[in-house]
Amino acid sequence: MENYNDKKLLTAVAMLNAKMLGFTLGILLGLTVFIATNWLILKGGHITPDGKYVVGPHLQLLSQFFIGYRVSFLGSIIGFAYGFIVGTIAGALIGWIYNRIVEIKDKLTA
Amino acid sequence: MQGSLRGHDDRRVVIIGGGPAGLTAAYELCKAGWKALVLEKDNTVGGLARTVNYKGYHFDIGGHRFFTKVKLIEELWHEILGEDLLRCRRLSRIYYNKRFFFYPFRTSNALFGLGILNSMLILLSYLKAQLFPEKPEETFEQWVSNRFGKRLYRIFFKTYTEKVWGIPCSEIRAEWAAQRIKGLSLLTAIKNTLFAHKKSRNADVIKTLIDSFYYPKLGPGMMWEKMAKRVEEMGGTVFLGADVQRIMLKDSRVSSVEVNLNGMIKTIGGTHFISSMPIRELIHKLEPSPPEEVTIAASNLKYRDFLTVVLIVNRKEVFPDNWIYIHDPEVKVGRVQNFKNWSPYMVPDQNKTCLGLEYFCFEGDSLWTMPDEELIRLGQKELEMLGLIDASEVEDGTVFRMPKAYPVYDSTYKESLSTIRRFLSSIENLQLVGRNGMHKYNNQDHSMLTAILAARNIMGANYDLWQVNEEKEYLEETVEGREQTDIKLLASTQPKVPTRITEKDKATIPDEIIVKAFAKLDKLAFAVALGMVASLFFCILNLILLIKGDKEAIRMFQLINQYFIGYSVTPEGVAIGTIHSFLWGFMWGWLFAYVRNLILAFLIYKARRRAESMSLKDLLDQI
Repeated sequence: MENYNDKKLLTAVAMLNAKMLGFTLGILLGLTVFIATNWLILKGGHITPDGKYVVGPHLQLLSQFFIGYRVSFLGSIIGFAYGFIVGTIAGALIGWIYNRIVEIKDKLTA
Repeated sequence: MQGSLRGHDDRRVVIIGGGPAGLTAAYELCKAGWKALVLEKDNTVGGLARTVNYKGYHFDIGGHRFFTKVKLIEELWHEILGEDLLRCRRLSRIYYNKRFFFYPFRTSNALFGLGILNSMLILLSYLKAQLFPEKPEETFEQWVSNRFGKRLYRIFFKTYTEKVWGIPCSEIRAEWAAQRIKGLSLLTAIKNTLFAHKKSRNADVIKTLIDSFYYPKLGPGMMWEKMAKRVEEMGGTVFLGADVQRIMLKDSRVSSVEVNLNGMIKTIGGTHFISSMPIRELIHKLEPSPPEEVTIAASNLKYRDFLTVVLIVNRKEVFPDNWIYIHDPEVKVGRVQNFKNWSPYMVPDQNKTCLGLEYFCFEGDSLWTMPDEELIRLGQKELEMLGLIDASEVEDGTVFRMPKAYPVYDSTYKESLSTIRRFLSSIENLQLVGRNGMHKYNNQDHSMLTAILAARNIMGANYDLWQVNEEKEYLEETVEGREQTDIKLLASTQPKVPTRITEKDKATIPDEIIVKAFAKLDKLAFAVALGMVASLFFCILNLILLIKGDKEAIRMFQLINQYFIGYSVTPEGVAIGTIHSFLWGFMWGWLFAYVRNLILAFLIYKARRRAESMSLKDLLDQI
C-alpha cells in the first residue's frame, strides 16, 4: 500500500513556520491575559481588612513585567498587547530553534 | 452461424475462441475494416459468459454482472445491446445457519442473525486480532483473521473460500487477498477520510457499482450472440464447432492453424493471430513443440472447474437475492443463483423459479463425474437441508459442466507463466487475451479491454496487454485511477491537445499539502526549542524581579520552588530555576510532539483501514 507519495507521507518531518507560530502564540497569550483580566473584573474583588477594594491581586503581579498593566478593562487591553508581543517572540523563537535543529539533524544524517 | 474461408486477402486475423475477448477483438477489427475469423470450439458463442437455454429457462455459467469503470467497455455494451441492457439492483447475501447476512456486515443484521453471545465472541475475537495480529501474515487465513477476527473468518470466509478453490485457506497465499489493497493510495485514503462529508462523484460511482449493475435481458449470452452477428454483418466470420488442433509456427511467426471444423480438418492461414484458448492447451498445440521447460511450465498451470445444477422450482419466489453465498459446511453447493432476479425474461413462466446451484470442483473428481440425475438429486437434497425449498417443489432440472472456469493461482503459476511469456514474446504475430488466454482471474471487462488493445496493436499501436490491471488500478482504484487508466492506456497514441482545468481539478487538494499537514514533528527538536525558550523567559522574568526587588512579588514567585526544588529569587536560585524551566519545557515539548504525532498516525491508520474495508466490500465476489 505504499507508493512514492505514501512513503513521503510516512517519513516527512514537519518544518515550522516561525512567523505563523509566533503570531498564533501571540494571539493566544494576548487573549489569555485579556480574558483572565476581564474575568476577574466581572467576578468582582473583595475588601481587605484595611478597607481596600482589591481585584485579582495575583494577576496584578504581571505589572512587575508589563509596565502599565492593571486589573482593569484598560489594563486588559494593555495586557493583550504585552501578551501578544511576548507570545509572538516566544513562538517565533520556538519555530526558529526547532527548524535549525531539524536542519542540523538532516545535515548530519544526509 | 455460417462463414466462408474464401475471399481473404493478405491481412487476416485469426482469433481462437469466441468468448468475450475473442469476439470483442473481432468486432474491433471488423469495425476498422479488417478481416477477422473467429474459431469457437463449442457450438455456441460466449465462452464462460454464455447463456444456456433449457426449455425456455435461461441460465448463466456463474452470474455475470455487467459493471465496469472503463467507459469504453460500458459504451460497447450499450452499442451492442441497446435497450436490451437492463439496470439491475444488486442483492446478494450470505446464507448461513438458515439465516441471511448482508456483506459488508450490518451490525443489527449480524447481531440478530448470529445471536448476542456469538456476536460478543466475534467482537472479542476481532479485538484480539486488532491487538495481537498474527505475524508474519503469510496465509489467506492469517490475512482475513487479522482484519476480521478468527471467529468471523471461520463463519464467513473459510468454508466458502475452500469450496471455491478446493484448497485449505491455510495454504492460500496472503498476497492473493492483499493484492486487493496493494494499489490503494494512503494519500487518497486520507483525503477521503478528511472530506468524507463531501459526497464525491467517486463515492457515488463506487456505491453504484456495488449496489447495481447492468444485465442483458436474456443473459450475457445475448451480448455475445449479438456481437457475433454484428461481426458477420461487417464481413467477419465466426465458425462454431471449430476445434483448433495444431498451431503451426514458422520463422518465429504463427503461419496457420489446423482446425477440426465439425469433423473436417482445415488449415487456416492468417497474418495475425489472437488466442483466448487456455494457455496450457495453446502451448501443447504449437508445432514444432516449444522447448521442454515451456511445455512443463504449461502443464503446471492449473484450473478450477465448475458445474451448475439447474433446478426449476414450482414457486413464484424463493428468495429476493440475485445470488446467495452458501457458507454452511454441511453442503457442497457454494453459491445459488436465482436467474429470475437478474432479469425476469430469464424464465418463461413468472410463477416458476429457476435456481442455479454452483458446485466448484476439479475435472474428473467425484462431483464432476457424478451422473446428472444424481447431481440433480443432490441439489434438491441440499436445498431442502438449507431450508430454502421443499424437494418436492422441483419440477425439472439439468446440469451444465464448465471446465477451466477459473485459473488457479498456486505457488508455481507465476514462475510457469513467466517462462511461457518469455517464450511467446518471440512469436511476433501472436497475442494472448481473455481469462484463460492470459491465465488471469479477471472479469469480463478486463477480457474485453485486453482484446480491444490487442486489435489496436494489430492496427499499429503498441500496448503491453500484460500490464492491464497489473496494479489493480483500472478496476479497483478510485475514479482518478479509472480515468488515469482510460487515458493512460489510450492516450499514448493520441495527439496531445491542451485541456482546461476542470472544477474537479480545482477541488483536488495537492498531495504536498496533505504530506505537509501530516508530517511528523521532530520530538527532540521541538522539546529543545520549547525548553530553551521557557528557560530564557524564566531567566529574564527573574532578572527583572531581582532588579526591581518588590518583596511581595518575590514572595509570590518563590512559591514556584514547590516544583522547582532549590529555586529562589537569588542569582543562584535563578540559575537552578532556569535549569528546571528548561527541563519542564523540554518534557512538555517532547510530550506535545509525541501526542500530536500519535494522533496523526492514528488518523492515517484509520484512513488506511477505511480504505481497506472499502476495497474489501466485494471480497466475496472476488473469491
